[in-house]
Amino acid sequence: MSFGAHLRFLLSGLLLALALAVAAPAGAQQINPTANSVREQQFLDALKQNPSAELRGRISIPDTRAATLERPAGRDWRTFHQGTMVRIGAVAVLGMLVVLTAFYLFRGRIRIEAGPSGQTITRFNGFERFMHWLTAGCFIILALSGLNVTFGKALLLPLIGPQAFTNLSVAAKWSHNFLAWPFMLGVALMFLVWIKDNIPNLGDLRWFLAGGGLIGKGHAPPARRFNGGQKVVFWAVVLGGAALSVSGIYMLYPSFSGGVLDMQFWNVVHGIVSVLMIAVMLAHIYIGSIGMEGAFDAMGSGEVDLNWAKEHHALWVAEEIEKGRAPGATLQPAE
Amino acid sequence: MARMKFLCDADRCIECNACVTACKNENDVPWGINRRRVVTINDGKPGERSVSMACMHCTDAPCAAVCPVDCFYTTADAVVLHNKDLCIGCGYCFYACPFGAPQYPKLSNFGSRGKMDKCTYCAGGPEADLSPAEFQKYGSNRLAEGKLPLCAEMCSTKALLAGDGEIIAQIYKERVVKRGYGSGAWGWQTAYRETIAI
Amino acid sequence: MLIKRKSADVQRGRLQSALGGLAAGVMDRRSFLRRSGLVAGGVAAAGTLQIGAVRKAEAASPGPATGTKIVKNVCTHCSVGCTVKAEVANGVWVGQEPAWESPINRGTHCAKGASVRELVHGDRRIKYPMKLVDGKWQRLSWDQAVSEIGDKMMEIRAKSGADSVYLLGSAKFSNEGSYLFRKFAAFWGTNNVDHQARICHSTTVAGVANTWGYGAMTNSYNDIRNSKTVLFMGSNAAEAHPVSMQHILAGKETQRANVIVFDPRFTRTAAHATDYVRFRSGTDIAVIWGLMWHIFQNGWEDKAFLASRVHGMDDVRKEVEKYDPKTVEDITGVPAEQMKRAAQTFATVKPATFVWCMGVTQHSVGTANVRAICNLLLATGNVGSSGTGANIFRGHCNVQGATDFGLDVSNLPCYYGLVEGAWRHWARVWNVDYDYFVSRFDEVPAKGGRPARTRKANMETSGHTSTRWFDAANLPAEQVDQMDNLKAMFVMGHGGNTIPRMPDAVKGLEKLDLLVVCDPHPTNFVSLGGRKNGTYVLPICTQFETSGSRTCSNRSLQWGEKVVEPIFESASDYAVIYKLSQKLGFAEAMFKPYEMVQGKIGPEPTAESILKEINRGGWSTGYTGQSPERLKLHMANQDKFDLVTLRGAKGSPVENDFYGLPWPCWGTPEFKHPGTHILYNTSLEARDGGGTFRPRFGLTRERTLPDGSKVNDTLLAEGGSFSLNSEIKDGYPEFTMGVLKKLGWDKDLSPAELEVITGIGGNNIDAVSWSTDLSGGIQRVAMEHGCVPYGNGKARANAWNLPDPVPTHREPIYSPRVDLVAKWPARPDERTLRIPNLHTSIQKAAVEKGIAKSFPIVLTSGRLVEYEGGGEETRSNKWLAELQQDMFVEINPADASDRGIRDGAFVWVSGPENGSKARVKALVTDRVGKGVAFMPFHFGGFFQGADQRGNYPPGTDPIVLGESVNTVTTYGYDPVTGMHEGKVTLCQIAAA
Repeated sequence: MSFGAHLRFLLSGLLLALALAVAAPAGAQQINPTANSVREQQFLDALKQNPSAELRGRISIPDTRAATLERPAGRDWRTFHQGTMVRIGAVAVLGMLVVLTAFYLFRGRIRIEAGPSGQTITRFNGFERFMHWLTAGCFIILALSGLNVTFGKALLLPLIGPQAFTNLSVAAKWSHNFLAWPFMLGVALMFLVWIKDNIPNLGDLRWFLAGGGLIGKGHAPPARRFNGGQKVVFWAVVLGGAALSVSGIYMLYPSFSGGVLDMQFWNVVHGIVSVLMIAVMLAHIYIGSIGMEGAFDAMGSGEVDLNWAKEHHALWVAEEIEKGRAPGATLQPAE
Repeated sequence: MARMKFLCDADRCIECNACVTACKNENDVPWGINRRRVVTINDGKPGERSVSMACMHCTDAPCAAVCPVDCFYTTADAVVLHNKDLCIGCGYCFYACPFGAPQYPKLSNFGSRGKMDKCTYCAGGPEADLSPAEFQKYGSNRLAEGKLPLCAEMCSTKALLAGDGEIIAQIYKERVVKRGYGSGAWGWQTAYRETIAI
Repeated sequence: MLIKRKSADVQRGRLQSALGGLAAGVMDRRSFLRRSGLVAGGVAAAGTLQIGAVRKAEAASPGPATGTKIVKNVCTHCSVGCTVKAEVANGVWVGQEPAWESPINRGTHCAKGASVRELVHGDRRIKYPMKLVDGKWQRLSWDQAVSEIGDKMMEIRAKSGADSVYLLGSAKFSNEGSYLFRKFAAFWGTNNVDHQARICHSTTVAGVANTWGYGAMTNSYNDIRNSKTVLFMGSNAAEAHPVSMQHILAGKETQRANVIVFDPRFTRTAAHATDYVRFRSGTDIAVIWGLMWHIFQNGWEDKAFLASRVHGMDDVRKEVEKYDPKTVEDITGVPAEQMKRAAQTFATVKPATFVWCMGVTQHSVGTANVRAICNLLLATGNVGSSGTGANIFRGHCNVQGATDFGLDVSNLPCYYGLVEGAWRHWARVWNVDYDYFVSRFDEVPAKGGRPARTRKANMETSGHTSTRWFDAANLPAEQVDQMDNLKAMFVMGHGGNTIPRMPDAVKGLEKLDLLVVCDPHPTNFVSLGGRKNGTYVLPICTQFETSGSRTCSNRSLQWGEKVVEPIFESASDYAVIYKLSQKLGFAEAMFKPYEMVQGKIGPEPTAESILKEINRGGWSTGYTGQSPERLKLHMANQDKFDLVTLRGAKGSPVENDFYGLPWPCWGTPEFKHPGTHILYNTSLEARDGGGTFRPRFGLTRERTLPDGSKVNDTLLAEGGSFSLNSEIKDGYPEFTMGVLKKLGWDKDLSPAELEVITGIGGNNIDAVSWSTDLSGGIQRVAMEHGCVPYGNGKARANAWNLPDPVPTHREPIYSPRVDLVAKWPARPDERTLRIPNLHTSIQKAAVEKGIAKSFPIVLTSGRLVEYEGGGEETRSNKWLAELQQDMFVEINPADASDRGIRDGAFVWVSGPENGSKARVKALVTDRVGKGVAFMPFHFGGFFQGADQRGNYPPGTDPIVLGESVNTVTTYGYDPVTGMHEGKVTLCQIAAA
């Protein structure tokens, strides 16, 4: 499928039922149903104009979906699912792994320049960490069970055989269906709790222009609680999560989603967004773990080294100090 | 080996639904599963045509391609079948199918569709030919008895043809030449990437 | 990709089946159980079922597979007569296979035929006899049920007379069952015996028989393959007779035939037409006369045919002059050009055939409609040869046979009528004293200004029609021309929702003292109304659970072999009629000629022995040659018959026979008449299936010339028209002993034949005729001289004995064209059969009340392919019921948008009588024109919005219920047969 066709598929994906134009009876006098009969060629011609066209008629059974006689758009979806989806997925996931590896080799672990101070500051409270790990835990299983749908057949099936693979896939399907709900809850909570710290501002722009301090030497422009990169992650999670939730719900509840073309559309959305999100999350995991000294503590114990905080979130530290919630201000019991 | 296909001659089809009940009768298909159906296009207007449709047993079948557990297989007669033991009921084949052939025992929400069911070309499934297990899961296996699908065999006007693609194309071609009209081999372009040139 | 099946497996399977026939050995019990649906059915049924369940359990017992047996029967739905090939294992019907060898269906079926196996597994069948006691269903034994019913019948008979028990039979009977039921009515002493032909083709039978002799389809489905023009009017064969379309479409293709469809509705049949003509419901005569106008105007009529074989066409010509194109367009809505093209095609592209069904017959002018069509066929010379003819597609599997055997208010079996000679003939065949039958009939007292009737006169008076059974219960006794009102309905195999005015039927039901419903499934008679007591249901098996012959529309007989034993406690018609006769005390006399066998509920006659009795008496219709042996031979050699000519192949056991020995099959079985494929076909010898028009109405008719003088026109054929090799090269009357003597042919009679004839004739031996000679000698001798036993006459364009001898357009009783009513009024009020028929009063009242304004939509009705008749049987079949789950009304998009109705939404359809209304789903479609609505008529179980599911005996309610169209249809009855006006009335539709 060409890119153009693909785009058309995505844009026009929603139902475009085709009623074949009746060749007008020649003159009111002669009605020759045989000569005027609808031909398949009319449909094939219409398909050239609109590849998502489907041929619908009347059927006596109540299942209205059965009234669709032909829907060649299924083929486009198949091409997408078996081609584009696989490529995007592979590029996104493998590409990100390559980038991260290269980055690691090139940059190494980002150390706390000033070294650990020994003093810590509370970066995320227990509730925030719960919410993060809830989302993250669900996401990992959702991602793996989702990737299984696209890649399992090629990677896993030959290894473990059809029956075991089916059993695994059934388990994957059910865990995907059930873990979707806590995931959505987590995303919703994160959105509510962290939105106020994630409004983009000019500082973020400067942060990006400076390469976030990750590339080359020197510090990035001082950031508040979340720097530009983290805001990207936040918004990726919130928007991506929302897209996955909406598309996922539609796929879980076929009776609300309309026709098969809608289902296909939501499936495409779900697939693309999820692999992109997986890529972003890989980067997030990298930087939050081996990529940067001191970063994991933020979601681990919740307490980060003051020096780390000053290097990455100088403005936030200042604010915290101002509020008296950081070492260096009057000591107060934490929470 | 033969390359089995279906062809519905819409200029013969009168929407009598014999194919539908013959299928139910032969394969004990439960209420709500419609392995075959008849759709009427331009209903009530001069030029109206009805077409009986089921799984067309496509060349390079999309259902088989998208199945995440690879439960489809193609027989030597080019009949596209699937293994219900492996099916996880994900619905992907239904997304991909151009003809709406895959059916699910449950239409309920929350991913509980059950094992996919579809027209088997009266050729059963992966179990041993004519075994009870095969009948229970897939219905009869007429092909193994040397017979063709009952829907086509019982078609009231002999509109629905089943058999080797070349032979039924020839029958259709002769009909069109003899009578001077033909609305096309519905679905062939989509299923087999070919049409019948008259 | 998995390739689980090795090609070798497939090969082996094929080889096996090729060598071993059916794969019998491979089916073990589990698959057998699956196939027969016993696993689920057995468990569900265990609590309630007795005999049936035991049988099933036995059938399903483990053990070595005993192999599959193939049994042939005939589909029990429409009249096409498709062979059903049943695979039976251990007494259970496990599969259906295509019967390729049948020349009629060649392996195929429609939705109904492909699902008949379900009928004998259906867990919604009536399982045992039941009666309604204070609104609750109670189970009874057969003995008790029949005993109670018999006592009640005798009680009613003593008080109100035999005529107050209505015997409603069925087009689902076998020939033998029909005949037996008519015989039962004779022994009971009433002519109030009827069946579905009344509401189906009674007007056809009357119209056609009055034109050229016999009331049946003249050609066959197969023969339409020869037609170059096929005109359908009021027939939707694609839905009502789907398998017939195989022949029609094949003919359309091979002959490049014109297929012209005249219908108010764009049907599935119309979709395959080459010319579709929409016209207004109820204007059939104007349409036909409009066609004839063009034919006469352009000289397209077949003058030679008219001169030699038709009487009275000039009278028609005079009437037709009134129907100029402008008038016709005004009445019918068909543009002149379209009419002219159709007329020219029909008259000149020959052979042409005319196919009609209920669209023509179900009118208050039904008989006249049919007569008009017959005239069109006569005028164009399209009768009596291949590719032509009146191809009347009948509705039920044996409606032709049931009609032939006199399940009719005015006939004894084989159209002998009710005259004394007819009674004497059948009394002779039955070997019962004629006077016994006289004694069984009521004496009718004088009432309502009508003279009294003796028993004999009552015996010779036509009965009351089934279309108005409730009027006979509801009307003041004085208006009902019999001893008393109707008090009991004994219904075998007949729906209660198939005739108009259901609100009146509800009242009628409540008036009955006794209602007996004998059916595989409880019909609407059971569920309708609020009866609390005195209703009995008796479980009858289907024709698949018994044997017998049935006559398809083309008059071919086919023998159906019992596929399985009757399921549950059901019993055959034969057994039930015997049991009841026994209770009523005349079983011995009635059944003495038959071979009796032990059935499930007692002794029952074999179908073979009944058919043999029919063969001994059915001379008038040629039901004498079709012995059970010959019919069985045909079933065994179906593959030997030609697809188009239906002739048996040379050298085969059925050489020269026409398939199914279509009646008339003259003479004794030993005479080996081949049957008559095409009626009135002079191009064949009489003994080879040829024929002529039948002179039934005298030999001459007086005509007054313009100058006042009178001439006698002959009613016998002229101008060298006779069947091939006839020794009489002219017209001739029917053969009697007297005629034989005159011709000197009486010497050809054998001594045995002469003895029988002498025995019958007594001192008036000359009066013994081809139809009363039980030896068959007169028929044999006539045919050996190349003559047709009934004579060689002219068809009648003018049927002077009918109410409208030359048909004239009459506006429907409820007409949307109020402006036309004055010029084309309904017939004056009259009495039809036993009650008043108020055409004019009702039509005038409708005009005065402005019904056409408040009910502006023309309502018509028809069939769906999935269901049949009243529909209980098919709506209980899960494979069919799934396909049509809701009763609906088809409404034009313009009418729907005016009323804010969307497709699939519920609407109220209201009718102009009784404040009737029905709640149904809207199907918004262009099939119907603006101002027209269509409803299918197979639904029941809802009445005016109320769900009546609870009225069915528990567990027997059909899967799908719905409003009956006949809740809103209205008054209107044909003056000849009492046919209802089911195809045109007015209604209003509103969103619900």
